[in-house]
Amino acid sequence: MRFLPHTDDDRQAMLETIGVDGMRDLFADIPAEFHRDPGSLDLPVALSEACIVRKFTEAAEANRHAGNTRCFLGNGTYCHFVPAVVDYVISRGEFLTAYTPYQPEIAQGTLQTLFEFQSMIARLTGMEVSNASMYDASTSVAEAALMAQRVTRKSRIVMAGSVNPRYRAVTENYLSRLDGEYVQVAMDGFATSLDTVIKAIDDQTACVIVQYPDFYGSVYDLAPLRAACDAHMCLLVVAFSDATAFALIDPPGAYGADIAVGSGQSLGIPMEFGGPHLGLFTCKQQYVRQMPGRVCGMTEDLDGKRGFVLTLSTREQHIRREKATSNICSNQGLMCTAAATYMTLMGDAGLETVARHSAAALHQLIEGLPTHVQAAPGAHYNETVLSFADQATRNHFMDESIRQNIFAGIPLEQLDASAEPRHLLVATTEMIEEDDITTYLQALEVALSFTHKSCHRTPTHGSGQGAGRR
Amino acid sequence: MKYSATSGIQHEEPLLFEHAHKAAESISLPGVAGNVPAALETFARKAPAGIPGLSEPEAVRHFVRLSQWNHGIETGFYPLGSCTMKYNPRVNEQVVRLPGLAHVHPDQPEESVQGVLALLYELQTWLGEISGLPHVTLQPAAGAHGELTGMMMIRAYHDSRNDTKRRKVLVPDSAHGTNPASAVLAGMHTVEIKSGANGRIDPDVLRANLDDETAALMLTNPNTTGMFESDIADICRLVHEAGGLVYGDGANLNALVGIARPGDMGIDCLHINVHKTFATPHGGGGPGAGPVAVNDTLSPFLPVPRIEQARDSYNIVKTDDSSIGPVFGSIGQTGVLLRAAAYIAAFGREHLHKIAEDAVLNANYVRVRLTDAYHVPFPGLCKHECLLTDEIQNKHGVKTLDIAKRLIDLGFHPMTVYFPLIVHGAMLIEPTETESKNTLDTFCDAMLEIAKQCETGDTEAIHDAPMMPIRRRLDETQAARKPVLVWHDDD
Repeated sequence: MRFLPHTDDDRQAMLETIGVDGMRDLFADIPAEFHRDPGSLDLPVALSEACIVRKFTEAAEANRHAGNTRCFLGNGTYCHFVPAVVDYVISRGEFLTAYTPYQPEIAQGTLQTLFEFQSMIARLTGMEVSNASMYDASTSVAEAALMAQRVTRKSRIVMAGSVNPRYRAVTENYLSRLDGEYVQVAMDGFATSLDTVIKAIDDQTACVIVQYPDFYGSVYDLAPLRAACDAHMCLLVVAFSDATAFALIDPPGAYGADIAVGSGQSLGIPMEFGGPHLGLFTCKQQYVRQMPGRVCGMTEDLDGKRGFVLTLSTREQHIRREKATSNICSNQGLMCTAAATYMTLMGDAGLETVARHSAAALHQLIEGLPTHVQAAPGAHYNETVLSFADQATRNHFMDESIRQNIFAGIPLEQLDASAEPRHLLVATTEMIEEDDITTYLQALEVALSFTHKSCHRTPTHGSGQGAGRR
Repeated sequence: MKYSATSGIQHEEPLLFEHAHKAAESISLPGVAGNVPAALETFARKAPAGIPGLSEPEAVRHFVRLSQWNHGIETGFYPLGSCTMKYNPRVNEQVVRLPGLAHVHPDQPEESVQGVLALLYELQTWLGEISGLPHVTLQPAAGAHGELTGMMMIRAYHDSRNDTKRRKVLVPDSAHGTNPASAVLAGMHTVEIKSGANGRIDPDVLRANLDDETAALMLTNPNTTGMFESDIADICRLVHEAGGLVYGDGANLNALVGIARPGDMGIDCLHINVHKTFATPHGGGGPGAGPVAVNDTLSPFLPVPRIEQARDSYNIVKTDDSSIGPVFGSIGQTGVLLRAAAYIAAFGREHLHKIAEDAVLNANYVRVRLTDAYHVPFPGLCKHECLLTDEIQNKHGVKTLDIAKRLIDLGFHPMTVYFPLIVHGAMLIEPTETESKNTLDTFCDAMLEIAKQCETGDTEAIHDAPMMPIRRRLDETQAARKPVLVWHDDD
């Protein structure tokens, strides 16, 4: 077996050193009733490396993907450009195959990279400090709620209904077994009504959680909410799903957010059917000892040279056990390296270009919409909701777009069961070119004109294999 | 001397914020260069974030130099106990980068993702077969996340029987710190079970702690001393008779894979650290994945979304009334999970048991070679890792930490130190199946030399260690007292 270096002679010599007769004697402490005959598991036979490549290639080719479609999907996962250098850096064995940097002298590469990552994330979000990652945006939001309870010693959590439904579901799930009240504030329309959110805050509230830009892509002024939080001594938690937004618009820190959490997937990480992505967690310095997760700090070595270590570990489970601020251990370390590399390649200017192109593409798409399709009103970054007259029209467009090799959006009711089945959540990035928008609008025109002629045609759910693009 | 220290060229490399030169021109980017709407411009960021930006050649050199300050599995032996640092096959890196896997959006229509669903579903069935617990969720993002998921399911099981007073979770004192932390996050409270003199659970102590409030026992088997809990059948029976369930921490599955199945022993629920047993890279701390396998008792409570096989397609089940609900924002860490699938596929049914065989062979070989020079707190056969302490070296003023740091100068990553907590000065060594006899011999020779230097009082190099890496011992107290977590340009 190619990953096992021992020869049979090696094994024999080692068994002799140990003083046992055979391999099975090494397992004598496992009761015989539980021993299985070698080869008796119901698994396929071993594959050569070539056959593994073939198997995975066949599976990959059975999927459609952003490389051979025009992808207008968002909902917390975005098809941004990933420079080749990012994948090169995270493929380096010294980053890829290192463990958690608990032995700092031989992990300074990971540690300095984490320090740079934390510094850049803090700057991008406008926050004072960042940790060294959480699993994903959903679990970051859940951990933010728990942290707010620790900081304020209050337990009521107010969640805006315009936060991504997945973030809400995971947070509600995390909180449901613990003390405290979880209040979800229903929103009217595809935007965040701050008045409604503010009305839900009281003196027992530990934090209010809003998303900015919200689940529908809407951008709004958080200042009134900050004032309301101050009035009730509760924390302002701002969630986000596309961190590139903050190269263009005021970041959470500019509004005085106490905790800002979200996804860093947009910062150089491929979509990969849902993971591994990157949960970002930032807060004010004063709350750092209540923060979950690992964090890297600057220090000196015996010779007085600058170096980095994992620090504040007395918050963590391996020291504090049942009293830890979180149970998290393994995090998304390598994805921090990816994001640090990405941001280094981009710089302020590159990030702003990414953000401007992403926003401009959505703007151009909205400007070209036919009158029968409405985009949600108000300021939007790179995501919005398109509303159709009815479900049949919307589905007809979905079918047409699939035929044209476009992933035109996500039916909103698939994400939020309370939504009417006639909307699409649509997102753009800098990967969307003029030609993609033109094709999208043409598909819309074809579908709408056809629908108007024959509304009752049974939709054929797209299954065609699209021709390759790019 | 057979081993060689780390002594390659090492460049000092400033923080990227300290690079004098800032990139003259931004990276070339695709997209629509049109206008941003005026409504959005009213929210325009007031000042740039302050992310320096390096040109591509500078950025590559920056990160390559930093990488060279790291020890990784590809640079050397990594005998970290309870971490299972094995070789990460390169073909696994190749296949997950296929465009049809890497660039798939999680909300694409189901008919457009049948290929990846098929691979993930197959992995579910394999993990079910390997663990003896046939129902699997791939959603948890790491081992501790799997523990939380498992404890949520166990709680849901008791609640479904209106047995809502069962909130007590028994956790042996040798357990990983994540176990009690995860139980608490699931709204339970923990009671610590003291290990017996042989490093194993004492069934009498267990029995005394079981009552009608016991929700579960969280058990690591083999435990973190490297010993198999040979009373496992009795332990599970006792817990079940008391109305509780048994949660298995699969961090040490490498000792059992292909040899014996936790589900057959009576364990109800097990998380599997695929970044340990199934060779997905640790990445400097993650990402991992912690799929959870359960028996029929717990299957109604598995998280959603989950993958099911229909007649001629794979479907994603999004809601289910008995489910505990979602614990993660997607179906799971697909890229990590697919690497694990590739590892299992490479071994197949005929070789899978050799993982555990060679892992256990290697640990026992190291144990036997080091037995006289180092104190072995729990003598006898170990499984995939062996536990030593610094008791003998203490007499010469040398501690576990010194031994660990000296190993660095001799070219090795240290073992896990000061864990488990139940012995003083623990050194937990896990060699894994992908290390050669030659590597183990050079490591043992290094350990024996350190022991000999202690004995002869020649300990200066040990106390000064490490001298070879780019930094010497770092001041962790200073770092924690006044935390500097981000760079300020005036620093």
